[in-house]
Amino acid sequence: MPEIFIDGHRYEFEGDHKVLQFIQDLGKEVPFFCYHPSMTAPANCRQCMVKAGQYMKDRETGEYEVDENGERVIRWFPKLQTSCNLMAADGMVILTQETDELVQRAQKDNLELILINHPLDCPICDQAGECPLQIQTYKYGPEGSRFEVKKVHKPKRIQLGPRVVLDAERCINCTRCTRFTQEISKTDQLTITSRGDKNYPTTAPGREFDDPYSLNTVDICPVGALTSADFRFKARVWEMNQTPSIDITNGKGTNIDLWTRDNLILRVTPRFNAEVNDHWMPDAGREAYKIFNENRISRPQQKLDGEQILSSWNNAIATLSEEIAATDNSKIVVIASPHASVEENYALSKYTNLLGLNQPVFTPHIEEGTGDDFLLSDDVAPNANGCRLLGFTELDKASIKKEIKKAELVVILHDNLIDREVIAADDLKEKFVVVFATNNSDTSKAADLVIPITTAAEHAASYVNVDGRIQRTYRAKETKYTERRLDLEMSEGRLDRYGTNFDNWVTEDNKIDCLPVWKFINRISEHSGLECNFNDGREIMDEIASTLDSFTGVSYAAMDEQAGIQLSIKKETSTSK
Amino acid sequence: MAYEFTKEDLREIEKIKAKYPEVMPATLPTLWVAQRRFGHVEPEVQRLVAETLGLPEAHVHGVANFYTQYYKEKKGKHVLDVCTCLSCQLCGGYEILHHLEETLGIKAGDTTEDGTFTLNQVECLGACGYAPMLQVTNDKYVNHLTKEKADELVDKLKNGEEPDYEQMKMPQHKNI
Repeated sequence: MPEIFIDGHRYEFEGDHKVLQFIQDLGKEVPFFCYHPSMTAPANCRQCMVKAGQYMKDRETGEYEVDENGERVIRWFPKLQTSCNLMAADGMVILTQETDELVQRAQKDNLELILINHPLDCPICDQAGECPLQIQTYKYGPEGSRFEVKKVHKPKRIQLGPRVVLDAERCINCTRCTRFTQEISKTDQLTITSRGDKNYPTTAPGREFDDPYSLNTVDICPVGALTSADFRFKARVWEMNQTPSIDITNGKGTNIDLWTRDNLILRVTPRFNAEVNDHWMPDAGREAYKIFNENRISRPQQKLDGEQILSSWNNAIATLSEEIAATDNSKIVVIASPHASVEENYALSKYTNLLGLNQPVFTPHIEEGTGDDFLLSDDVAPNANGCRLLGFTELDKASIKKEIKKAELVVILHDNLIDREVIAADDLKEKFVVVFATNNSDTSKAADLVIPITTAAEHAASYVNVDGRIQRTYRAKETKYTERRLDLEMSEGRLDRYGTNFDNWVTEDNKIDCLPVWKFINRISEHSGLECNFNDGREIMDEIASTLDSFTGVSYAAMDEQAGIQLSIKKETSTSK
Repeated sequence: MAYEFTKEDLREIEKIKAKYPEVMPATLPTLWVAQRRFGHVEPEVQRLVAETLGLPEAHVHGVANFYTQYYKEKKGKHVLDVCTCLSCQLCGGYEILHHLEETLGIKAGDTTEDGTFTLNQVECLGACGYAPMLQVTNDKYVNHLTKEKADELVDKLKNGEEPDYEQMKMPQHKNI
């Protein structure tokens, strides 16, 4: 097998490897800025320099040549090499900054050059704290600058597009953003203009950077040159904590991270998953943080004399039980939801089964034209396949309407049927309507009883994407009834850990008075003398996996380990494009 | 004003495209075609080039902005690039520049009101042996400049004449 010697250690490898990626895969480090594993390597930042050479072999005998001390003779390449585009070869010898002073010096001097025109505005820069330039300058850079002349000034605060702001002075011209638009999103909207110390990325004159994936350039920008217009100056990186989750605004199931401070989701960034979204996510999904924070329903609401008023959980439970008891089973329709997780749907269906009601029905949420061939599908609900795999009856708009018409009691699980024009508000007249909802909407307004439930940011639950991959969320945000410090599954940021209720950056207001669907089901079944006891999503998933064939082998542990599990779905029912 | 290529231009561009296996390398020569036709490659002309070649606008913009020889804004009919880099500066480059500024009544970087001349101060053009010198509209070099020679050049250009091509002899060393 081909062998390579890095810092004196021998490694074997197979196939084609770039030296930088190979070193990274070993868990070791070489500093770099322009390289990105999903894009081409132009080697223009010159930061990943290593010393490379080859053990000399006698051409005739094929034996290694040795010097008088018996050491193998190395023929060094004439100059240092950029490891990002250097192909690993058999018998190659690499020295990194760990072992070679020349490499250390080269990296240090390169950083000094990069920093010549880089403004020292880290204290007000959004990137600070997660800035490769900042980190690597601390680790490998010079202690000071010898540059005493005025720095080159370039345009600042340029609104490149609706979502991206450019500060050209901070740019180090790594071309990651231009390569992203050329190679990944393929809109070719960005280019580097001008040259020398005056260059910076920009769009063609008069054009907007309105790429539907534009915010990925903010993520991959190794400095603070490209920042998100929306998130700019909202929070420092170290104030937030980061929780893995799944994009719930589209059926593609893009893996994301939720960034929380004081129980508000402040931003959404993509999380690497080679099977689903690689390093990227659509801009549309980043808006989802608003769903978690704004316009939330807190406390159950009940309609009294045509007006919704705040109620209590006990009252809500009693009312719903009474309504169910008073209505003929055939006159009750339970509408499950592709917007709710597998666990929520299952908990609801278990309860309706115990009551002896019909299996829940659902209607997928398709918006023609939303999809592209990349990370958006026409199916904008995160869990339509989950409903199918749970065996719910899939109905089209007209049939849902018909079902509702026949019923006297309508239970809608987390699905804004009126807002997405499946039904009209009039269709619900003269019926008792119960809506499990996270946010205020026309649908929740039409309800006689509104049960506030947790969003994907407040419960750990799983969603099956358009391609049949089941992936799960984690609890990122506290509700009135959860406590970050007691819940070992919740991540804690510095402010979460050290803040107290007396600090002015901590408030109770951001905790919503809502329950996971299964907790509500526990309480209402207890009220009506039925046996339902779900502690958390993990338990429900274990129960689903042991009772339903289509979920065999699924567990939270397995999902965490394999970054989601591929389930077998019927392809004809899949709406992926 | 909408810019359009003439039929001859388009034929020439087709010929240029045929030279390369891909379209992208045709950007530079096509920008030249455009600059010859319109006298500049303003953003709208860049857009025309991009559309004609079927290339991203951003790419054409980037290429045009990289090279100083492409004029990204309207220039005078004749562009005088006066070198003030080291050799020319020592031999009187600034004197020539200031003299031209006075004669033409403009500052370096500006264009005369009648649109005949643009005067630029530029860095080394690689003719240090014949300093001071200037270049006329990306083309001919005028070497060993004196004030008289500069006036002569301006008159010539005003009368619509082309500057002469000066053949410069390399210094001869016997012992090489």
